[in-house]
Amino acid sequence: MTPALQRCAFHEQRPAFARCMSCSKMLCQECATQWDGIWHCAACLTAQRGSVVRHRPIPAWIAVVTASLILLFAGARVMVWTAAVIAGLF
Amino acid sequence: MIHAPLSTTSVLDEATDTVALTAAPWAGVLMITALPYRCLQALFLDELLEVGSGASHYGNLLGGTANLTVAMLLLALWGRAVYARACRLAAARGTRPGRETWRVPPAALASYVLTASAAMLLGYISLFTCLGFAVAVMFSGLAVGTLELNERVSITQPFRTIFRYSKRVGIPFALVLLFACAVVVAVVNLAAAFRLGTWLAGASGGFDAPHWQALFGAGNRRFILVLFAGAVVLVEPFWIAANVLYVRKANAEESGDDLRAWFEELKEA
Repeated sequence: MTPALQRCAFHEQRPAFARCMSCSKMLCQECATQWDGIWHCAACLTAQRGSVVRHRPIPAWIAVVTASLILLFAGARVMVWTAAVIAGLF
Repeated sequence: MIHAPLSTTSVLDEATDTVALTAAPWAGVLMITALPYRCLQALFLDELLEVGSGASHYGNLLGGTANLTVAMLLLALWGRAVYARACRLAAARGTRPGRETWRVPPAALASYVLTASAAMLLGYISLFTCLGFAVAVMFSGLAVGTLELNERVSITQPFRTIFRYSKRVGIPFALVLLFACAVVVAVVNLAAAFRLGTWLAGASGGFDAPHWQALFGAGNRRFILVLFAGAVVLVEPFWIAANVLYVRKANAEESGDDLRAWFEELKEA
């Protein structure tokens, strides 16, 4: 089907205006909502919002922050170690 | 908009357009946040060259500067995240991004801090090997390119996303080589700009031109280090834009959006 003939997935009589980036459905101007520069349909936007509210990944946050701190600390130590080794070569 | 099929040249072409759209004020935010980090890196190298082969006896001095450098890296990472978001919004809309650019999703920022810290560690470990260092730089570029694809906080997901986009290794690696050359060209241009500035200032009375020419010369180690730091800061907006656009175009190729855009262009022609 060419884009000119594409129709809104929810309103068959209306021409398509955008495509939902989550479910790839074609949407008319009324059904399409731009959020953060990306087009979504109402259902996907609601699902995303719901998932954000429901999902409380506190252990994941703790894990990521701890891993980042360890990597940063190790980075500073390795920076000095590498520098000392390189300086020792000359 | 996706303008052309995925290739190194198309990524660079579109990156130039994106940098033009995001230059004010977002490239400024990036440069201001990156300057302390780059200057501290230059200071660290200066101290290292100063102590020379006795570096192992100056652990406290070098360690203090290294800690400060890593602390400033966090500020630089935030600046990069804001700029990467500006690039993505500009590429998606074709207009200058607005104030929503400040709102970097916390999960994306946390994931980026994790991957960028890993890239930094990998970079310092592989500093002895040219190829390993290039891989670390490529990894760092893909980390900023895939930043906003991380919608949730996870230890493994950001790395999996990076590996997904590094499968087509040719383009990211070509970008690393091109930007390495760009840094050298920027150093030469910056040095020439300083020379020209000193020469022009020398034409006015009361300016001690010979003294400044000696300071802005190849004999001054600190000047050379600051030149390199400045060159990296200047090239960084293009580097980030290129990586963001590479990921965006690779995504479009997977989803078929590039073909749709091409078909629209054919219809209009």
